[in-house]
Amino acid sequence: MPRSLAAEADPGWASVWGVIEWLYLTVQAAALALAAWFFVDTARSKEVGPANVVGVGVLEVLLLAQLVTSIVLVPGASGSGKALFFSYLVTTLLVPVAALFWGSIDRSRWGIGTVAASGLIVAALMLRIHQIWEFQIDVVA
Amino acid sequence: MSSPEAPPAKRALSAGFGRLIVLLYVVFAVSAGVRAGYQLSTKFDQAPVSYGLSAIAALIYLVAAVAIVRGAAGVALAAVSVELVGVVGVGALSFAVPEWFPEASVWSHFGSGYGFVPLVLPAAGLVYLLRRR
Repeated sequence: MPRSLAAEADPGWASVWGVIEWLYLTVQAAALALAAWFFVDTARSKEVGPANVVGVGVLEVLLLAQLVTSIVLVPGASGSGKALFFSYLVTTLLVPVAALFWGSIDRSRWGIGTVAASGLIVAALMLRIHQIWEFQIDVVA
Repeated sequence: MSSPEAPPAKRALSAGFGRLIVLLYVVFAVSAGVRAGYQLSTKFDQAPVSYGLSAIAALIYLVAAVAIVRGAAGVALAAVSVELVGVVGVGALSFAVPEWFPEASVWSHFGSGYGFVPLVLPAAGLVYLLRRR
């Protein structure tokens, strides 16, 4: 893999890659955990409450960390997928917030169910973002 | 004093499970639409049919989402039905005549490139809309 070769060649990059991979996996874990938690709320027919808002806030902070890291690293890199990468990342940031507003005005169990689904959407979009990062953007070079 | 909630018989099309459906349709319309627009503008010549189909699929999802929000059940049903026919038809064609689809579209191989969500979404929408009638 070119990535590990480059990481060996320049130890400074190894730590950066470590951060990115760690950040990506943290976002994925948070998104999936949020979805699981909110689907339990869905099964219990709960309405969207303050705890749910805090949960979405934590996910958003992680996504913002991902965005800031990307703004620092990606524009200087070569590769053709940068516009696509950032459009996906910004979309991912907006989805949970939109779902929170759209879901919180519903009085049925599917209010929180909608926010729960947004966690799965974030996970799917992050998967795609990670693919673009790996195959279409050459940060190391 | 009347309840602030609408009576169950006349619940809005976008309430309850419909809310989840609308979110999924909008997200799918945006992500498939932006990607199709990007592909059409940068490499239209490589696979105009595939990218065009992706754009059409995205547009129909947007129509379905707007129709559900505005309570137009007939339009929503028509849009979702077209979407189901599209994903099944193009999915079968992409296996039968793969040379027609040099690049994957949203619908080819029954939406396998998108985790089969393009197949599940119209089916879920159809069940939801038909159950409300």
